This record gives sequence, structure tokens and C-alpha cells, in this order.
Amino acid sequence: MDILIQNLINALALGGTYALLALGLALVFSIMGLINLAHGELMTIGAYALYFMILWAFPFWLALVGALLCAVVAAVLMERVAFRPVRDASMATMLLTSFAVSAILQVAYQNLISPRPLPVAMPSFLGGAVEIGSLQVGMIQLLALGCTAALLLLLVWVFRYTAFGVAMRAAAEDFDTTRLMGIRANALFAGAFALSGLLAGVAALFWVAQRGSVDPLMGFLPVLKAFIAVIVGGLGSLVGAVAGGFLLGAIEIALRALLPSDLLPYRDALSLLLIILVLLVRPQGLMGRRREGVR
Amino acid sequence: MSLKNALAAAAVAATAVGGAGAAGAQEQVRIGFAAGLTGYLAFFDGMVRNGAQMAVDEINAQGGIAGQWPIEFIVRDMRSDAAAAAVVARELVAADIHAMITPCDVDPAIAAGQLAQAAEIPMMSPCASTPTLPGQVGPYMFNLKTADNLQATVLSEFAHEQGYETAYVLLSPDTPYTDLLPRYFIQAFEASGGEVLEVGTYGWDQQDFSAEVTAIANMEPQPDVIMTSAYEPHFPAFITQLRNAGVEIPVLGSDGIDSPTTLGLGEVAEGVVFSMAGYPAEGSELEAFYRDYEERFGEYLPFAFSASGYEAIMLFAEAIEQAGSLEGPAIRDALDRIADFPGVTGTEITYEGQNRVALRDVTLVRVEGGQQVFLRQVAPDPAEVPEP
Repeated sequence: MDILIQNLINALALGGTYALLALGLALVFSIMGLINLAHGELMTIGAYALYFMILWAFPFWLALVGALLCAVVAAVLMERVAFRPVRDASMATMLLTSFAVSAILQVAYQNLISPRPLPVAMPSFLGGAVEIGSLQVGMIQLLALGCTAALLLLLVWVFRYTAFGVAMRAAAEDFDTTRLMGIRANALFAGAFALSGLLAGVAALFWVAQRGSVDPLMGFLPVLKAFIAVIVGGLGSLVGAVAGGFLLGAIEIALRALLPSDLLPYRDALSLLLIILVLLVRPQGLMGRRREGVR
Repeated sequence: MSLKNALAAAAVAATAVGGAGAAGAQEQVRIGFAAGLTGYLAFFDGMVRNGAQMAVDEINAQGGIAGQWPIEFIVRDMRSDAAAAAVVARELVAADIHAMITPCDVDPAIAAGQLAQAAEIPMMSPCASTPTLPGQVGPYMFNLKTADNLQATVLSEFAHEQGYETAYVLLSPDTPYTDLLPRYFIQAFEASGGEVLEVGTYGWDQQDFSAEVTAIANMEPQPDVIMTSAYEPHFPAFITQLRNAGVEIPVLGSDGIDSPTTLGLGEVAEGVVFSMAGYPAEGSELEAFYRDYEERFGEYLPFAFSASGYEAIMLFAEAIEQAGSLEGPAIRDALDRIADFPGVTGTEITYEGQNRVALRDVTLVRVEGGQQVFLRQVAPDPAEVPEP
């Protein structure tokens, strides 16, 4: 029973990280039609910012804020420098652009910072586990869960009740009509990227706290997973992206916890197989709608 | 054919430009290194390259190998990719190298090695430590670093001395190093009476270890020790998540975590014991080497990969001097006869009668206060070393 609950927590924590990343990807995709493969590099920037601010003896809370800020600024810059010029180009052009941005950033990290992983030692009050009943739950896991939940609730509020959020959702539905309503496209794009940068930054903090080191390629894998989550959730659906993230986290943990050891090497294949099954039943994804036309 | 010739000519022209000045009428020894200067091997191969460069410069300052053959060291990036390693090895072979250093991981080392093997070019693997590697590639491939089965034996001996009777072993079948070394440990540990309670596996692209950690935390009875040959980025992730879940079981690792990352992890890495190639005790030759390295490259990096690169060049030099020739087969045979060669890591290196897997001491250290603390340097008992 304890193992089950513990694994449930594991699934929520891992799924939460995927969900944050997937939401950032979906946000940008729904507004721009861009699958931003460089999203992971935003994570890496946030993680490096954390590493350097801890190294330079900033207070820990300031390092956290700095890391988030860096990810947001980098996201906005990325949109301004790389994606704005190709905004009206085909989806393939944008995809390749994001690929290029990703590759350039990875090489820049390797050459300007370090090719090797840099250790990030978390302060001791974040280490260890807390007892909840008969359960031992890792402090960082607990924080990740709490923050993810709080952030998602906050976003629900933003999307529902603020003009910016409503505009964002409207643009995701129908970009051209939204512009006709007098919403400025540049502000929307910048806003979407800033928000996706913030989400990537938060995900980066938890990812780094769990993995202990930062390296130039660290962003690739989680974003690949987030991309899968976006597809499963329904390309273009924000709620779907979050659901997809949690589903993927749950599948991965369940397989790793339950598979007999002979089958363990196949866990990634099996998890993708399950994803394919989901897509066979719902080709449009969990929350996706069948679109009449592609913008 | 004409394209190949053109390529070869271009390569020769390029090296001629690079090596201008040192050339003259003297014959040069060309040693190639298919190196992962970018990608996941960059840290390891970068240090090997720097260490090897130090040996090359030292030898050239004395007029070359045996005072007559200056070395030209040709390094090409293979992006930590096995397919690219083969392409780079082909370029190096076309550049007429006399010896080659292979990348730090087994798969690219095999990819590069097969081409050099076909061209009868002696090769040295400075850090891929899988003892089956020379057998897989062929008679021109030599293993230099502490072989996996030697490390596993020393770790198992240590575990027994500490009174550990049961173990949990974490391995990844995705690469030979992360798969075979723990399996040698299981063999050695069980052969001497220990019991492995459970073997966990992880995937190469896995960074979340929460399910594995939960399984360990709920084992009944708890294992006395956890052994793994995971390295970056998996080891930092595993140890961080293990300790943060409140699991305090001692952890044994291997030379893949002989890196500053392990030392910089803070409290979570405290007490980790791992095997490695050599410890830079104060006043030792290895310490002096690391100081020279620092002077030259601006960073004090007491991790044996650089020393291994240095040793690889020195061993080639020794073999070429013994052979008195630059012919591949002659150098190979001379390498295969080397015995008790003093390595800069502080151990003697023997190839004679070892099937091209270096016989050498293994050093154990413990992480304390972010530093490596020396535990012991031992030559494992051959009777206890599992067959590769």
C-alpha cells in the first residue's frame, strides 16, 4: 500500500514536470503553429542561471527568482530574434528554425560554459524526506507537487479572468479573428513565449533539484517527453497538454514499478505503445478537437 | 578511387600545413585521436586529448621518440556518435596514422577501432574499460584503463571487508560499461559469499529514478550496500533522489564518477566509495602531473582521464622505441610485450600475457567533504577476477 501511494506521488511529481513543459509547448503551438524544439534549451538556461547564482553566493531564494527571470527573458528574446522573422513562413520553416536555435544554444553552452555536467548542490533544508504517516516523501518532490499544482491553478485563473489570458485563449482558437478584435499580435507572441519561458524555468528548477547536475544537453529529453504529452493531449489543447503530461508520467512510473525485471528494458517501447493505443482510440488526442482546416 | 586519393591528398596537405616547421626531412609518427570533443563524451575525451598533448609535447621537446621520431598528434571531433566515429577513423586512417587513440565509450571505440584494425594500426583505449573490447575489435586494440572486472573485484573485496553481506545492484543494459561492470561485481560478490538481493535497471535516457528509489526504500530486508556503475548524468540524479528520499544505504561506484560533478553534489554524495585509476597523493608523480595540467590548461582537474591520455602516448612511444620501426605489426607486438611499465597514475602497467587488457592496480577513494579521500591501492587477486 505504501509503495502504491509512494509511486502515485512519484507519478504526480514526474507528470507535473512533463505537464509544465507540455503546457509551454502547447501555448506557443496553439498561437503560432510553432513546435518549439528549443523549449528544452530554455530549461537549460534557467538551470545554468541557478548554478551560477549559487556559485556566486547569491541568497538561494534570489537564485531561484533569477533562474526564472533568465528563462523568461531568454524565451522572449528567442521569439524576437529567431521566430518573429519567420512567423508567417510555413510550419516546416518554423520547425527547422527551432531546431537550429536548439542546436546553436547547445553548442554555445558546450563551448561557452562547459561540456561537462556541472553539479548543483541544493541547500540542506531541501534535502531529505519528511514523514507523512507511514510514508517518507522527499522534500523536493513534495515542493514540486505543491508548486506545480499552485502554478496550474494560477494559470487557470489567468486564462479565465484576465484580459491577457482571454486574448491568449482566443488567439489559440482563431488567431486572425483575435487580431481583428484589436489584440496586438506582437504582444500576444511575446506574452506566450514569456509564459512558456516561465513554465520551462519552473520545470528546470525541479528537474535540476532531482538530477543534481546541469549539462548542455539536459533539455532535450524532457522536452521530447513533453512533446509526446502534447500530442497525446491533443495538439493545440492547453488542458490536453497538462493531462497528457500527467498521463505520460503515470505510465512511465507504473511500467518501471510494475514490470518484471526481464521486461524492464522494454519499458520505453511499452510506454510509447500505450501512447499509440491512446492515439488509435482518439486520433485527435485526449482533449483535441477535429479541426476543419489547418491554419 | 580518384575521390579517395583526392581526399587522402587533401588530408595530407592539411596535416602538412598544421605540422609545418616541425617537419623537415625527419619522419614523423602520426598518432590520431577520434575524439568526442562535443556531446556526452566531451568532458572525458577533452581531458584525454589534453593529457595526450602534454605527453606529445614532452616527447617532441626531447627530439621525438627515441630522439628521432617527432610525434604529430591529429585530433578529430566525432561528436560522441558511433557512426561519426567511424567516419573520423576513416579520415585518420587515410591520413596515414601510425597509431590511434579511441574514444572514451565502448560503442564509438568499436566503430573507430574496426577501421584501424583492418588497416593494422595499433590502438589504445584510454578510458573505455570494458575488458571484452580488445577481443571484439581485434589484435590491434589495447585497453589501458582499469578494466571493469578488476574494478568490480576490488569493490567486491571492499564490500566484504566492510561486512556488507547483501547488495542491490543498479545497471543499465544500454551500454557495456553500465551493464558489464555491475555484472562482474555480482559474480565476484556472490563467488565470495555475498548475496545480491535485487538487480534494478535504468534506461540511458532516464533521469527520473523515483520508481527505483521507492523500490529500494521498501525492500525487506534492506540491502547492506548499493552498487552501480552509472555515471553522469545518471549517477548524480540517482544519488540525489536516493538520499533525498531518506535512504542512507552505502553506495559503491566505479571510475565513471571520477569527476568534479560527483565532488560538487554536496551532502548527497558524502560517503560514496568508488574505484578509479590512481590517487594524486601529495608529492606523487600523479599530483605533479595534475599541477602541470593546471598550469597548462588553467584548471586543476584531478581526474585520471587526462593521465590516461598521457599514458597512452607514453606507451605508444615505448612500444615504437622497442620496435625500432613505425610498422603497425611491429608496434603492436612491442606493445603486447610491455611489462611493468611505470604509469603516471602511480601503477605499473603490464600487457604481456594479458590479452591486451592492461593489468594494473585499482585505487579506491571515498567522498568526504567534497574531496576524494584515499582508501587503498591494490592489485586484485587474479584468482578472484571474473573472466571477461
